Amino acid sequence: MKRLDLSKLGQYAIVVFVAVTLNFALPRLMPGNPLALIAGVDVGLLTPEERAELIDQFGLDDPILEQYGDYWVSIFTGDLGQSFRSGRPIVEMIAERLPWTLLLAGGALVLSSVVGILLGAISAWRRGGKVDIPLLTGMIALQSLPSFWLGMLLISIFAVNLGIFPSFGAESPAADLVGWDRFRDIAEHAVLPIATLSVLSTPGVYLTMRYSMLEVLGEDFIRTARAKGASERRVLFGHVARNAFAPVVTFLAIRFAFAFGGSVIIETVFSYPGLGRLVFEAVSGRDFPVMQAAFLVFTAAVLVANLVADLLYPLIDPRTRAT
Amino acid sequence: MTKRWTRLTVLLTVLAMVLAACSSSTSDTTAGDTAPDETAAPGDTTTETTTPPDTQPSEEPVTLRAAVTGGEDTLNPYTYVSGFPGWNLLMLQYDSLMQFDAAGEPALWLAESVESNDDLTEWTITIVDGVAFSDGEPLTIDDVAFTFNYFIDNAAGRFARDLRGVNGVEVTGDRTMVVTLDAPNPSFELVALADIPIIPEHIWSEVENPEEHQFDSVTNIGSGPFVLVDYTEDQSYRFEANDSYFRGAPAIDELVVVVFADDAGPLAAIRSGEIDVIFERISPEQIELLDAQDPIDVIQGPEFTTQMINYDVTRAPFDDLAVRQAIDLAVDRQDIVDTVFLGSATVGSPGWVHPDKTVYNPDVAATHDPDAARQLLEDAGYTDSDGDGIREFDGQPMSFEMITNSSDSLRLRITELVGEMLGDVGIEVSVASVETATWEEAVWPGFDINNGRNYQMAAWGWSAPIQANTIRVAELVHSDPAIGFLNLTGFADDEVDAIAAQLQTEADEATAAALIGDLQALIAEQLPFVLLAYPDGAYAYNSESYDGWEFIAGQGVVSKVSLLEPAARP
Repeated sequence: MKRLDLSKLGQYAIVVFVAVTLNFALPRLMPGNPLALIAGVDVGLLTPEERAELIDQFGLDDPILEQYGDYWVSIFTGDLGQSFRSGRPIVEMIAERLPWTLLLAGGALVLSSVVGILLGAISAWRRGGKVDIPLLTGMIALQSLPSFWLGMLLISIFAVNLGIFPSFGAESPAADLVGWDRFRDIAEHAVLPIATLSVLSTPGVYLTMRYSMLEVLGEDFIRTARAKGASERRVLFGHVARNAFAPVVTFLAIRFAFAFGGSVIIETVFSYPGLGRLVFEAVSGRDFPVMQAAFLVFTAAVLVANLVADLLYPLIDPRTRAT
Repeated sequence: MTKRWTRLTVLLTVLAMVLAACSSSTSDTTAGDTAPDETAAPGDTTTETTTPPDTQPSEEPVTLRAAVTGGEDTLNPYTYVSGFPGWNLLMLQYDSLMQFDAAGEPALWLAESVESNDDLTEWTITIVDGVAFSDGEPLTIDDVAFTFNYFIDNAAGRFARDLRGVNGVEVTGDRTMVVTLDAPNPSFELVALADIPIIPEHIWSEVENPEEHQFDSVTNIGSGPFVLVDYTEDQSYRFEANDSYFRGAPAIDELVVVVFADDAGPLAAIRSGEIDVIFERISPEQIELLDAQDPIDVIQGPEFTTQMINYDVTRAPFDDLAVRQAIDLAVDRQDIVDTVFLGSATVGSPGWVHPDKTVYNPDVAATHDPDAARQLLEDAGYTDSDGDGIREFDGQPMSFEMITNSSDSLRLRITELVGEMLGDVGIEVSVASVETATWEEAVWPGFDINNGRNYQMAAWGWSAPIQANTIRVAELVHSDPAIGFLNLTGFADDEVDAIAAQLQTEADEATAAALIGDLQALIAEQLPFVLLAYPDGAYAYNSESYDGWEFIAGQGVVSKVSLLEPAARP
């Protein structure tokens, strides 16, 4: 067990190293220049001297290896530096955005797992039946919807035409709400984005659950369970669902991790102030420090999710327990 | 067994962390899912909540909600982001010595009088008496002098550039100061006096690094009609009216500016009644749609942004005047205005200057004549020898990539149309639509023309200030990078250089006008670029919420002028 964990650790270390290096390299490999962002307005109006001063001030001309070294230092010290755009500490910016992204991602995850797992189980149990075929077709159709289109459709129906939900933002702008009013306001604003995200992520959960169940249903031990006289209910919950669950958990863990990257498109369509929006603004302006930091959070989230899945697996499925 | 317990503990800890991070989120969701039946329309909610318990409906404060696309940071003179609408929002909080009037001309504002000597090198400025900053401190001539010196000393961006050439600032009286320039500057009023926000000395004298100065309750103090009281990054700004404004209290009590991520958001929000005005131009196809919907109205007028074709003049075949002239003849500007802008644009003058400017040279008119273009190319030896419909130069096909930014759908359509028009005369154009930063880097590497150019042809456009000040045309065409620092096409012509240089310091108005006229004719003939159109501005607003919008020629409606009582406007 110890040996196994050590080699796992080694694997994680390598992944971290590669990911961090890529996080550093990618923004710089993109064409484009952060100068426009730093100088703000009318970058063309800078004299060569002013331009040189800015480049120097923001360390844009430091040797690339030095910048790379600084990046590692910043990771270990937890000081991710300042945004080129606003000059604010990035840790603070991320801390501000993360809860919004988690609200959307978490909400959608809960909704889509409950619906997806339930429907997936039903579908598999009644494979090829009257419920399964329309569900399967419907889910595949949903999965192919473009997210921005679905978002705009919901805005157009529920915000513009019916006026039931707000069309943008995380809360009413500058409304100074407190307590229950604020809670309700935030909830109202979250409905459409979460609905969009949920609709889009349910098919993945559903399909994973369905296929995983079908696989288990074909196993010998299910036949054995039935042969020894176990009730249908006991077969479904005690034998099939439990064994089918493992791949779904991995799927959900990874899905949740990806959500840390922010749903760039959904957050843009709904002008929602999450991490995805931050990444969007940073990429369009070549805000290197923010891009690096956001990618780092993303990387970390995926790795942690993997770790969680790794740890969860043996609990759910005794066959994968190390001896 | 212990191993298993360790594993469980680790797992539970991680789970607990994750749950802690999203516990609030899950509960929010459930509330959101169960609440909708009793939910009021979003518009109602906002009115309810922003209005204190109203017993006297007559005194209900007027709040306007405006939309912008993309944040403008903390909106002080060193942190705002875009020339439009960033500068316009900045100037809600500050005043300049002069203010643009409806015709787009600088009018006296904080300044009571502005006088210059004959050769325009010495400017005597007297300010209005009794103006105060929003924190109650008086705005004195010392603040004005301090502002000039501060921007000169903390050189970054627009305002330092405005003041380039300022040699000295001297306070000569209680309300008077004299600004001395190195060289005559005929556009000093337009470029500097009507542009620079006057900042309070008692606050900014303490600010050492303005670029990193963060917003708090005192950073954004100015003398303007509005005070920024609240800012949430990428979400909203809240401005409160400055009731003791020196021109009288503004017509509204509160302005909330909502930051959207893309330009579809504001269009939905104005239709749903969640916002009252869009502080961005709306696209031509939206004009009729929105205007037809009550109570939304659209106000339109001329603006000074440009849409043009750039080509690398230092490279064959664009170094050949015949090729540039053929391109100019081949493009149908009227078609672009009709097809792409649905009529809401002004046909481009090949001489650069907008027809609404007083110095416009009416003799310079665009001609569309594809036959003449073909003849011109034929005569210059660009023939199609292999019969594939594409002419050749130096043994290669005249086939070029025209680069454009994908975020501007109108520009993309222009590029495609131009491609077809040029294809008709035997020049093949393939459209490359890339992301904005990539496009800028190709056309203007590092935003420094000394770095050269990495494109063959490009769809391009300049922001309004460059057209607004006609003299700045020198920056676009002069071959010396120090003067022509916006000369993105690598154009060089001695005659153009001579006139452009003379124009920059010409003190005599009539001579300057004549020079500008000559320069337009020269540009139209030499074609350092091909100007296609000047898109008009169109702004959508809810006429029930507020309809005092004033269209400032060349600048649009986003201005403090729109929000002042009519009598207080310049």
